Amino acid sequence: MNAPGAVSVWLTANTHAMVLWIGAICTLGLYSVLYKENKIFRFFEHLFLGLATGYMIAINWNDVLLPKWWTPFFTNGEWWWAFALAVGSLFYFIYSKKYNWMARLVIGLFLGVGAGQQFQAFVNYVWPQIYTSFKPLWAHDAIAAVNGHPAVKALNWGEARNNIIFMAILLCVMSYFFFSFEQKHPVLKHSAGLGRFLMMFTFGAIFGSTIMARLALLIDRMDFLMNDVGGQAAGPDNGPKLVFTVLLALIALVLYLSLRKGGAGNGDGVAEEL
Amino acid sequence: MNLLRTLQTVDRRVLYALLLLSVTIPFFLTMKIPVKISPSTQKLYDTVESIPEGSFVIFGTDWSAGTRGENGAQTEALMRHVMRHKLRFAILCFDPQSATLAQTIAERLQPEYGYKEGVNWTNWGYRVQEVLFFKALANDVVNTVKADNHGAPIQTLPVMKGVTSAADVKLLLNVNPTNTYTYYIQFLQGPFHIPMVFACTAVMAPEAFNYVESGQISGMLNGLMGAIEYEQLLGVVGRATKDSNCLSFAHLLIIFLMVMGNVAMVLERRAKKAEFSYNAAGGSQ
Repeated sequence: MNAPGAVSVWLTANTHAMVLWIGAICTLGLYSVLYKENKIFRFFEHLFLGLATGYMIAINWNDVLLPKWWTPFFTNGEWWWAFALAVGSLFYFIYSKKYNWMARLVIGLFLGVGAGQQFQAFVNYVWPQIYTSFKPLWAHDAIAAVNGHPAVKALNWGEARNNIIFMAILLCVMSYFFFSFEQKHPVLKHSAGLGRFLMMFTFGAIFGSTIMARLALLIDRMDFLMNDVGGQAAGPDNGPKLVFTVLLALIALVLYLSLRKGGAGNGDGVAEEL
Repeated sequence: MNLLRTLQTVDRRVLYALLLLSVTIPFFLTMKIPVKISPSTQKLYDTVESIPEGSFVIFGTDWSAGTRGENGAQTEALMRHVMRHKLRFAILCFDPQSATLAQTIAERLQPEYGYKEGVNWTNWGYRVQEVLFFKALANDVVNTVKADNHGAPIQTLPVMKGVTSAADVKLLLNVNPTNTYTYYIQFLQGPFHIPMVFACTAVMAPEAFNYVESGQISGMLNGLMGAIEYEQLLGVVGRATKDSNCLSFAHLLIIFLMVMGNVAMVLERRAKKAEFSYNAAGGSQ
């Protein structure tokens, strides 16, 4: 009788450490794909997907369906919630060739609701983008409020120059998207070409930002391994050094396996096995 | 030629190893690479500061474990500021994992600022269908939210005192790695003119700057770098600040590798062109 109690006490006392170690093993397992595609990576990938899906189902039941539908319907006796079940079930008729028109009824309903909401969404979302695109291009002094017209802040030449650049880029990029007719006119042709060129800056910024984002995720994992797991294993001073040594050993092993003659391919790794 | 070719065909695992070293070695360095505060981060800080103490704000967190590296640090930095500035707040999540993740951060920080759940902050938990939720919330907070994530009726919580509709919400904060932040703009910020600030992953920042420029978003944190800047403004050394050297070193490595690869490519092309010209001329000159 005492054995389960002892196990339970041990588990309670060591939950934090276990969570850290499981996290470390999962992190290293997933990063093993950097060497090449392998079964360990596949196992942890599926484990993560299964956990995330299971968690999502559980939380949707506990936080949404149970308090908002099950309890009112079955416990509080609010019988009209039966209609929600009936209408919601119609979605599943999409799998029936004969009765999929019933699914279209409810899909149509939601499309209509969505479309109606988009009117309000568009006004609040896009309209401010349009009217704030109209910017003064000439420096001026402050203008006081007159006859209900609001006061206008002074604009210096530096700000005016920025506004001119903004307007030029806006017009060039917009001219690129005139697809209704052929862009033969030299002005339109060149502005569209310039607009296309300028958009490349944005795509470059997005790509650079993507790299920055991915690096932040890598840093977070390394922080976790070195400070959290390392701290748990050997204390806050020696833990990071210990984990760093282990990482160095793993790097050396991977490089040896990768670069030796007849080694593990060039890292493309598709269909290769560890 | 061999060296130039080698520089362009380095095994990717060698690059991964270099990257791993560049993000781990800085953990042992005591030096601090200076960080310049960007205008959008400063605007976010000023916006939070402009909200009167004791006001009620919605703290939307819509991230999951996958973007913890950026959004976790941002959430921590923003929550510190909100707590330091003595604002009441409610955590609101449209991502299943986020309610738990934000709760953990709030519970960790609350002793530092003398905050108490239910009194100074609450967690409205995971919600679905942003549009319908916001439209209902705008008119009737109590009957839309009903209970916090522990099941306590929100009208009994001191933190919710005097909060009945969108008009009582003084600021919207949203930490979000997806474009669902636009729902906040469409159905709360726009119609009710509530100031909104936003913290996004770096990959979303170029697109989101449009809303900062138009004034729909009053300030923005750009990825981990934004969190680092914000901690600097707050004068605290949090997780983001500890990671700042790693980010700088990793960026330097990538820039170095890109320059080396491109220089090698250009030099190799020139060498090939010169060799071709030499051969075309009969190879006798």
